[in-house]
Amino acid sequence: MTKLFTLIRVSLRANFGLSVLRYRIFTEKRDRWMIPLIGLAVLGLGPTLYGYLKLIEILFGMLVVIGQQSAILTFGILSGQILILIFGLFYVISAFYFSRDLEILIPLPLKPGQVMLSKFAVILVNEYLTVAGFVLPVFIYYGILAKAGLPYWVNVLLVYLLLPVIPLAIVALLSIGMMRIVNISRKKDALIIAGSLALIASGLAFQFVLSRSAGSGINTQALSDFFASPDSLLMRIGAKFPPSIWATKALAGGWSANGLLNLLVLSGVSLAFFIGILVLSEKIFYRGLIGIGEISSRRKALSALELSRKISSGRRPVRAIFGREVRIMNRTPIFLLNGVLTVVLIPLVFFIMAKAGSRDASLVALLSAFSSGNASTTALVVAGFMTLCGTINGTASSAFSREGGQFWISKAIPVAPKDQVIAKFFHSYMIALLGILAAALVCFQAFHVKISVLAPAAILALAASVFLVVIGMTIDLARPLLDWINPMKAIKQNLNVLFATIVDTGLLVSLGFAAARLLKAGIPARSLLLVLFAVLCVFAAGSFFLLLKFAAKRYREIEV
Amino acid sequence: MIEFKRVSKSYNKGKVRAVDDLTMTVNSGEIFGFLGPNGAGKTTTLKMTVGLLKPDAGTVAVNGIDIQDSPLKCKSITTYVPDYPAVYERLTGLEYLNFIGDVYGVQKKERLARIEKWLEIFELSGAVGSPIQSYSHGMKQKIVLIAALLPAPRVMVLDEPMVGLDPRAAHHMKEMMREHCDKGGTLFFSTHIMEVAEKLCDRIGIINKGKLIASGTMAELRKLNEEQSLENIFLELTET
Repeated sequence: MTKLFTLIRVSLRANFGLSVLRYRIFTEKRDRWMIPLIGLAVLGLGPTLYGYLKLIEILFGMLVVIGQQSAILTFGILSGQILILIFGLFYVISAFYFSRDLEILIPLPLKPGQVMLSKFAVILVNEYLTVAGFVLPVFIYYGILAKAGLPYWVNVLLVYLLLPVIPLAIVALLSIGMMRIVNISRKKDALIIAGSLALIASGLAFQFVLSRSAGSGINTQALSDFFASPDSLLMRIGAKFPPSIWATKALAGGWSANGLLNLLVLSGVSLAFFIGILVLSEKIFYRGLIGIGEISSRRKALSALELSRKISSGRRPVRAIFGREVRIMNRTPIFLLNGVLTVVLIPLVFFIMAKAGSRDASLVALLSAFSSGNASTTALVVAGFMTLCGTINGTASSAFSREGGQFWISKAIPVAPKDQVIAKFFHSYMIALLGILAAALVCFQAFHVKISVLAPAAILALAASVFLVVIGMTIDLARPLLDWINPMKAIKQNLNVLFATIVDTGLLVSLGFAAARLLKAGIPARSLLLVLFAVLCVFAAGSFFLLLKFAAKRYREIEV
Repeated sequence: MIEFKRVSKSYNKGKVRAVDDLTMTVNSGEIFGFLGPNGAGKTTTLKMTVGLLKPDAGTVAVNGIDIQDSPLKCKSITTYVPDYPAVYERLTGLEYLNFIGDVYGVQKKERLARIEKWLEIFELSGAVGSPIQSYSHGMKQKIVLIAALLPAPRVMVLDEPMVGLDPRAAHHMKEMMREHCDKGGTLFFSTHIMEVAEKLCDRIGIINKGKLIASGTMAELRKLNEEQSLENIFLELTET
């Protein structure tokens, strides 16, 4: 037991860089500037949190009338659990199979179950942090609005602790199974990507089924059907994923017999899943693991002709670096899934949301109404959506961090920092283009937005994306994370990605607010579109120029 | 030629002085071996030579060009091999060599001839089409060495280049080093293998706690301490 606790403590410290952080802040006194920056980032979340709380308040007001207010809890719990089901996979595969500390842990006298448990603990803590933003505001604000007593708050703590266990255990079981198969194959990376895509598709299909059974959007007819009988909405969702119902009832019931019974069921099933993965991991975890680092050893020597053909005839450095970025991103499953796939995933989720509901579902109806009404206003909304899909991914904000220990090559080669940055910009922008294209397809196909509206929206999104990609790269260049041992840390657990997401979202929301105010003030939408485009072009060009200047300075300063 | 003039570098806000007022010259056409105990400042010095670290004070000049003033000019005539072969694992060996050829502007004809030559010498022809991820430590070390040789640099800076190499590869490596300097090139490398330093180097520098405590030819070092082997001289000089 002592071994296990020591291992968990060390894993948590290593994963979150606690020892390094403490050393830097208290011994080297180097990263102290991060403390106010984190505070600022939290403050930056303020407007988004305010909007979220307002939405909870409105929903609570609507649902309390018909005695269904606990449905808010279900949505909170369910959204958190689905998030874990879909995105937990990246954490699990990365921590279980791609973390380099495994090379140190496997030879130690530890049981496979102990190693796996330490990994599981790290993922669990990660998940608590990931879902906190979605779930905690719901739990806390609901408690305040419902004037809940002590039993509710005690149960909140227990339910929150149990929340990720079942979905994470499901994902862990699927990944252990998948890796067992992958390990047999010679094409491991390709299989990992294909398997992950299949699991994500299953997650989305599950979401699709849930949406179908719960009804999508705020469709008044559907809502009134659901609320016709007590708990009807909960039960329909619960039929597909019961843990969310147990958790809801445990919270809403407090220390009543019903509340305690549901808490007991939730705890019991969570424990059963937990023991299940423990037993399984003892049996097959190492079998999937050992050999995962081995790459096909069947090598075929290149003939003189093949070698001559494959020797490039001298590409320009920018092109060479761009090629390197593309290859490394596409061949590293964690980078590919987190960077490239996300830009397709967000539009896909919207597509499912639109297709899962009926034609008059709110989202489709809203955009269709916009589309048929003021084209310029719709273009503004669609441009925001496209920009969001193109830029809310970690590609730009991990552009330098992804190099990790290999950054010495970028420092040693005779290529000007500005050329290296231009190549990285093209790569990040190419991925943003993919997101914009996917968003455009979804808008056209699912939301019936006309081409005449899509075209100006896309132009606006292209300009906005330059600016946001540059911001992401600037944030990462200011403080690149180069000492990672697990590629997940470079992109998924990189604070730069979080900062960039907050800044990007804040900028988009601010632009949206400003545009809405100006429209209200009577500025014609078409003029606003043109002004916004001009402003974004100036921002894009200006920020790009500043990034190049900053790169020249930072490449000298960063020491490896 | 590499010239260090009053170069200092410290870590942890000046608390750890890694290199302390270092002044020395590595001449063209010479193999200069850099010795010192762990943490003496060898790697820091090598890294400052290629611009990976910035000196706190002093200047490092490669063939008369200050690395801080004109980094690109310096880098275009210098290549570096780190102590640990951290390379792009997801690229194949050939993709990595092509990348290096591209960024150093090596023309196709020369590129092909040099790659063929070094692949054969280091017995890596059979693996060059495979991802670097699949290489052993020694093979990774070899691909980094070939990449460093590909641009035919005037100056080579190597940090523990023999580590991980099999005896045959180490032998070829030493031949290559000699050949490079016989053509007028400069080679500055660190090592812990006394025998290699003794037999291969034209001159040797010994660094301890950031300070250069001795430098010269083997004959000159022997005169200093009246000791016979480099190992004894090293132990004597670095004793704390």
